[in-house]
Amino acid sequence: MTGTFAHIRRLARHPSGLFGLLLLAAIILMSVSAGWIFPEGPWAMVGPTRLHPGVDPRFPLGTDTYGRDIVSAIFYGARVSLFVGIASAAIALIVGIVVGAIAGYFGGKVDDALMRLTDAFQTIPNFLLSIAIVGIIGASLPTITFAISIVAWPIIARLVRADVLRLRTYDFVQSCKIIGMSDMRIVFQQILPNCMAPIIVTTSVLVANAIIVEASLAFLGLGDPNVMSWGTLLNVGRQQLRTEAYITIVPAVALVLTVLALNLIGDALNDVLNPRLKERT
Amino acid sequence: MSKSFEMNRRGFLGSLAAAGLVPAGMVASGPALAQDAGGILRTPFWPAPTYLNSAISTSGPESFLSPKFYDGLLGYESGMVPKPSLATAWEISEDGLTVTFTLREGVTWHDGEPFTSHDVAFTFMEVLKVHHGRGVNTFANLTSVDTPDDYTAVFNLSKPSPAMMRALDSRECPILPAHLYEGTDIMENPVNTAPVGTGPFKLESYEIGSAVVMVPYEDYWDEGYPLLDRFIVQFVPDPATRAAMLESGQTDAIFLGMIPTQEILRIAEMDGFEMTTTGFEAMPSGLQLEFNLENEILANKLVRQAIAHAIDTNWILENVFYGMGQTGASPLHYDQRPFYTTEGVPSYPFDLAKANELLDEAGYPRGEGDMRFKLMLDPSPWGTESINSSAYIREVLRQVGIDVEVRQQDFAVFVTTVWTERKHDLVLYTATMGVDPTIGVHRFYLSSNFQPGTGFSNGAHYDNPEVDELLNAASIEMDEEARIAQYAEFQQIAYEDLPIVKMVDIAAAPTLASTRVHDFAPDALGALGSLKQTWVEQ
Amino acid sequence: MTQTSGPITGNGTKKAGPFAALSSPLGRYILRRLVQALLVMVLVMVGSFFLMKLAPGDFVDVLAGTRDLTAEQTAELRARYGLDQPLVIQLVRYMGLLATFDFGYSPINAAPVTDVILARLPVTAILVVASVSLSMVIGTLFGIAAARNAGKPVDLGISIFMLLLYATPSFIVAIMLILVFGLKLGLMPIAGYESVGMGYTGWQHIWDVTRHLTLPVVALCTFYIAIYGRIGRASMLEVMRLDFVRTARAKGISEGRVFYVHALRNALLPLITMAGLQVSSLVGGAVLIETVFGLPGMGRTAYDAVLQRDTNLLLGVIFTSSLAVVTVNFVIDMLYMVLDPRVNLK
Repeated sequence: MTGTFAHIRRLARHPSGLFGLLLLAAIILMSVSAGWIFPEGPWAMVGPTRLHPGVDPRFPLGTDTYGRDIVSAIFYGARVSLFVGIASAAIALIVGIVVGAIAGYFGGKVDDALMRLTDAFQTIPNFLLSIAIVGIIGASLPTITFAISIVAWPIIARLVRADVLRLRTYDFVQSCKIIGMSDMRIVFQQILPNCMAPIIVTTSVLVANAIIVEASLAFLGLGDPNVMSWGTLLNVGRQQLRTEAYITIVPAVALVLTVLALNLIGDALNDVLNPRLKERT
Repeated sequence: MSKSFEMNRRGFLGSLAAAGLVPAGMVASGPALAQDAGGILRTPFWPAPTYLNSAISTSGPESFLSPKFYDGLLGYESGMVPKPSLATAWEISEDGLTVTFTLREGVTWHDGEPFTSHDVAFTFMEVLKVHHGRGVNTFANLTSVDTPDDYTAVFNLSKPSPAMMRALDSRECPILPAHLYEGTDIMENPVNTAPVGTGPFKLESYEIGSAVVMVPYEDYWDEGYPLLDRFIVQFVPDPATRAAMLESGQTDAIFLGMIPTQEILRIAEMDGFEMTTTGFEAMPSGLQLEFNLENEILANKLVRQAIAHAIDTNWILENVFYGMGQTGASPLHYDQRPFYTTEGVPSYPFDLAKANELLDEAGYPRGEGDMRFKLMLDPSPWGTESINSSAYIREVLRQVGIDVEVRQQDFAVFVTTVWTERKHDLVLYTATMGVDPTIGVHRFYLSSNFQPGTGFSNGAHYDNPEVDELLNAASIEMDEEARIAQYAEFQQIAYEDLPIVKMVDIAAAPTLASTRVHDFAPDALGALGSLKQTWVEQ
Repeated sequence: MTQTSGPITGNGTKKAGPFAALSSPLGRYILRRLVQALLVMVLVMVGSFFLMKLAPGDFVDVLAGTRDLTAEQTAELRARYGLDQPLVIQLVRYMGLLATFDFGYSPINAAPVTDVILARLPVTAILVVASVSLSMVIGTLFGIAAARNAGKPVDLGISIFMLLLYATPSFIVAIMLILVFGLKLGLMPIAGYESVGMGYTGWQHIWDVTRHLTLPVVALCTFYIAIYGRIGRASMLEVMRLDFVRTARAKGISEGRVFYVHALRNALLPLITMAGLQVSSLVGGAVLIETVFGLPGMGRTAYDAVLQRDTNLLLGVIFTSSLAVVTVNFVIDMLYMVLDPRVNLK
């Protein structure tokens, strides 16, 4: 991992990657500064209800049905989207890596059992499973995060398993075995660092996907009612799309830009970490 | 009666004119309309029904669809004044213990079999008293139905039942064909989804969960009716989509508030649409906030009153219901005349200072984070009103130092959490108040109705012997003046004790239709009636 | 060899790999795959069963809430549908029924689950087939156009458009389509899959259904158009660098033929892999689209079944969709076995 810093520099020189990074930085800034700029919180009913954007300079993006400032909601919503995205991707990564590494390294019956479990999670309709979990356990941020990650880990598991299967036959792994290294150490210290590139790239997609799923759940009315997310606004706005379209459009744009940023970064990472691919495109 | 004959004749001539058989000028109703019958009516609805029979399920879709296929003994004019339907006359004995119905002759079921008093006796004794959710209580005192001849049905009661006479319409108590139900498993009888009634419409096709298509029953007893050629109900889950369907002309009418209120108000303003709020009296409903009195904080009356003062019910009325209704002021709904009253009933005007004062007095000073205590609020996921209101309630209660967390779950978990497991503090839901307080309101206040495991029963665990006595007396009181007095006292006591604060009495759900649709809300039942007089210009 | 790994593509579905095919007879391999598929199905069904049963509340609670049922009536209903039995007995009963392909009774629809599913299947089938084929064709065309103009403004324009399609959630696309084509322009019906009760037949009916399903299919397609576009572009660029293509070009074979024969054949595997993933995600992913467009498809049915705790119906839908996914994956594995040697040469 000596090249980490160099990678970031190369990422910054990648034009669309840079654009993605800047966008993401802006979104992170929004979520960090939300508490300072809007100390009263996103729920405070600070203005008249359903104020259209541009009417009152105090509320540049207008207010919603409750007279809540939409700018404030977008800032606080960025927190939720990023939290759900990162947390569920992290859980999916941990579970996926562990399952994939064990299955790939040990093979045989263990591999068989774990892969059938992975198959099962990929066979069951994923969004439906997320909906069912959130509906049943209740719409709270931890539940939503769990419901998203429980369907996301199989992708990582397959990725890791394929790489471990390939790498474990390599000479350097065989020599580790000969010198008596423990299986755990071989997997986590020798094999995994060598298959990080595709995992990192996939992670950016997972984060983006998790943000979309959170918004979709909130759109169906399954968002955490105690947390202001972009999906919350989308759900409120959906009911008055014809009269106050901005309540839908503003969070929709924020959502698309975030997902866009993550994808640009993912693509750029792919180019940077896999120079062979970059050369081809 | 003369009006119906007139309509009849015009309807007949109209259809002849439309068919080109008589010159259009011959039709009495004037030069502009060449037609005053017929047409295809399309309307969206949600959710989809389980049955097409409201005798065994009282939920929304069944209540809407069943009256098109089935008739009741009575109908109701505006103001809940009874009018003939399958019964042409009725007589209540002096002591209130016998009700004799004279039945209409010459009525046939959709399969051609004749309708008789045996059908009435069977329906009440075997179906409504057993399988109908509210019927068990409404007809608790009905001991037997005698059938001295084919066209007379005598109801024998163990106690007077004033509420019963308000519950005999086609929606609440449809009469089923005994010859198809007798001796079968009623809940799984195939007729439940392939109705054979005496009503104006018969089923042409039913695609489960998708659509119901109805056509006129040619031998319907009220000759000339129904006026429609075809009646199509499509099941569409998303309210905004239903509104878009109306706006784009994909449907003709929206019944029972099937689209968001702000959309109703907006589209009603557009050319080519009209709205009416009449025709919903048979189903008054309200949004209410119920306290779990087993919670030691909420057991304190001062806390409950403080919460009532902290919530601006007018805000909810204006911003959630867009002004369609009245702010809550009593356990009863304002449409439950003549029993509803606000006289002598305590009121809790919006007053944050007063709320703070009451909370201090109750012994809950502000502590950490300026908060006094923490409560869980469970809004009903049925519709959007409770959820939308809960966001407001949480915010205002935070201002008086009550830290409220909103818990949103699906309907099954919601019902279980509140009425079975009783893990709730505050619960917010809309409920029907019933055609009579006995049917819809008693269930929340009677101590005997504290029945964990039964949804929408006495979830507060409210227990006041005085209230029990008043309500039990009112349910069998035949003298209306005495009943009015009993309910007035009940409202005063219950709103002082405050196990439930009424947020909003919801106005009659508006019907919104294209101006091509005529006569769509004729009586107290409105869209929950047969809609046999409705017609559409093509 | 210790620094970076090579590019990894198409890890979404299981690759049977050439080893199984080479080291054991085809029959034994197929048999093994079938046993695995059966095992996965059992896992899915048992898992779904427990998810529904361990959830608080059963469908009687839902009914009691909407029908004002009394305590006696709810008890009667629970006994009628066996909900008062221990879970294990309920599971054994259900699996026993399922073994005879009987999905049981849906109390919420007052009909056998099989009837409900058969009524939903056509809409879902049309949605799946139409959106998979449409997005594959359109996406690939975009990809080819981009690759042939690699590095030029057309390529950049298409790439940006693809990114936007990729980043916009389908339900937002759906809302916008309704707003523009349904309301503003009034061109398309907004809800349902046909004009109900109008008695259309023949071509009139086909035209009617086509009009109704156009917007939902487009909404389901956008995301996948972007993916197929990327696959198409990458495959094309790769092929253009292959020796035999260069040779072919040098020999003067028309450029079009080179592109379309060799490049498409080369893109086939990732495209098939993606199509498999798309099919398996459609039943769940269609929930939002079916909700917004009021379509009586399997996704919305399953969602309602969850909300109403109609366990039999949900399990029936999951069984049907899982069977479809397992079958598609099996077919894809077979295709891989046929095409794999060529892939390995790459």
